[in-house]
Amino acid sequence: MSAEDFNLPRQTHEIFAVMARGNFISSNGSRDGMNRLYDVINNPENFDRLQAYFNVIRFNIERGNNYFYFSKLGEPNSELEKKLERFERYIDIIDLLASMDNKITIGSRFRPTEIAEECNANVRLKQKLQKIPLYRSETLHNKVREICELMSRDSFLELEDEKTESYKVLDSYTYLLDIINAVAIYEDTGSSGDSTQGLIYN
Amino acid sequence: MTLQVNVNDILSQLYQHRSVVELLFANRENITVNELLAREDISHEHFQKLKSLDLIYEYESIVSLNDAVVAMFEDFMEIGEVTPGLINDYLNELNRHISFYQEVREMRFLRSIKKYLKRINTAITREIIKLQKNVDDTYKNESNYRIKLQKLEDYRTKRDTIIDFIKRSGVLLEENRNLFSLSGDSELYGIVQNLKGSLIENLDYLIEIQTDITDFINKIQFQLDVYVKAQHLKEIKDHGALFFRTNFKEVVENINTLRHNGHKSPKTKIPVDFLYSDDGHVLCKKVAEKYKLTRLMLRGVADKMGANFKEKGLEQQIKLDTEKLVQRFLTQSKLNLFEYLMDYKFPKAIGEVSFEERLSLFVEIAMEYQNKLDFKYRLHYFDYEDANKNKKRLGYTLILPLLENKKKEKAVKNE
Repeated sequence: MSAEDFNLPRQTHEIFAVMARGNFISSNGSRDGMNRLYDVINNPENFDRLQAYFNVIRFNIERGNNYFYFSKLGEPNSELEKKLERFERYIDIIDLLASMDNKITIGSRFRPTEIAEECNANVRLKQKLQKIPLYRSETLHNKVREICELMSRDSFLELEDEKTESYKVLDSYTYLLDIINAVAIYEDTGSSGDSTQGLIYN
Repeated sequence: MTLQVNVNDILSQLYQHRSVVELLFANRENITVNELLAREDISHEHFQKLKSLDLIYEYESIVSLNDAVVAMFEDFMEIGEVTPGLINDYLNELNRHISFYQEVREMRFLRSIKKYLKRINTAITREIIKLQKNVDDTYKNESNYRIKLQKLEDYRTKRDTIIDFIKRSGVLLEENRNLFSLSGDSELYGIVQNLKGSLIENLDYLIEIQTDITDFINKIQFQLDVYVKAQHLKEIKDHGALFFRTNFKEVVENINTLRHNGHKSPKTKIPVDFLYSDDGHVLCKKVAEKYKLTRLMLRGVADKMGANFKEKGLEQQIKLDTEKLVQRFLTQSKLNLFEYLMDYKFPKAIGEVSFEERLSLFVEIAMEYQNKLDFKYRLHYFDYEDANKNKKRLGYTLILPLLENKKKEKAVKNE
């Protein structure tokens, strides 16, 4: 029983290899032909076949805005403690990125040094960065680097150029933004009122 | 202009230094004089000449092409900044010429009218294409979000300007319909019809661009809004109220990604057959290294087979046989070597062994195992038929196995 028997795309194996590791496939990722894989899944015919194929082993392809990932069918979401810890850290990171002068959004390219420098120049940012709980990293630069590595491991960023250490923000970053957007804040007294659109306190 | 120039001069200068022009066009704003001269496409004199013709400028040692040249290339390639003002100029010119034509019905004014109608048509289409390209480019590549938003808003205004011009062109065509039809010029009629069609088409296209721009702005806005929210959440979190004042816990609980739930990819057993293959071996090696299993490490991948490995194999086989053959020959005493070889029944695996092969084997054994053989230096004769059925007689040396005592003698002699 091979992939061809089900009329599956040739890249099925690659797709599985990426997504079963818990990674996202983003449309603007360029490493290892990721954008090509995205196009393959995005083709409606392929999508249905792949979905049916992976459903057999209880994997479900989830579609987001320009990205795909796997979820597990019929298995309860587990490891709540770890998950909470992780997403709390994401909040720290996104809060840091949101407070930067130069906003990092989807498709942006940046180098850890740039962020480190800005943090160095701005006390508020510096404090934010220092408070993000990470293991090693004494210098600001190393800390930013570690954050970038962590985010690329989770396939939200991509190391585009190793020589210049330049990262690119992938479409999967929307996933994090969506999660944050989904969180409802209770008894929100007026604070959302004063933050006019597009204005961000720095 | 400092010098009187003509088209020929400009073209030949541009052509002569086309590599430089290409470079400067591709890298606007960041080539210095030194960089340019270091490239060796252009000498200092030539550089001065281009400068004196105003084809390139130098400002704070940054070299740039003349804007007119850049604009020409951009127009042809339909790139560059959107300049809807151009359409306005054409419209004004058109109006002027129409009024001339209304005064005096002369062909020269009609010709200009046609020219400007055509120009308006191409200009509108070109500007729209540029607009589309620029909007896409800004959204994808502009890294600073404030400038990105500003730029997109600017494009929105430019789009409105173009729509305005399209409407004005439409009105103009409508107003002068009688004039155009009175002229009785079929070419003019064609141009007007063409323009009308493309005006409608372009209007549709602009509406599409508008949705794109709005979409892009909304996306950026969404991201910015989320960023504000992230900052807010962070504040709540810092107050330790994240689990009480928000539904963070529920949201995170419902996250179903594999990575965040610690779901492992399914484990399957490796087929045993695979482990015997070369790829399987590489895998085994990795495992062995990881768990320090020396037993698995010992097995190595075979070297690449030589191209002539088949022939080699056969040779070796025969050689192996030779040794055994000699051993067997030495244990008997009835026959001499030649007779022994001629009568010997080789194993089937080797196949038919021809007379010539047996003969070469005889020579080989005689040469290689001379210490174990007793050379009698007497000729015996052997009659046989060759391939053409000619009777032949072959003389050969009588060679017998060396007997034990003689062996010793020979050994002493050798010492």
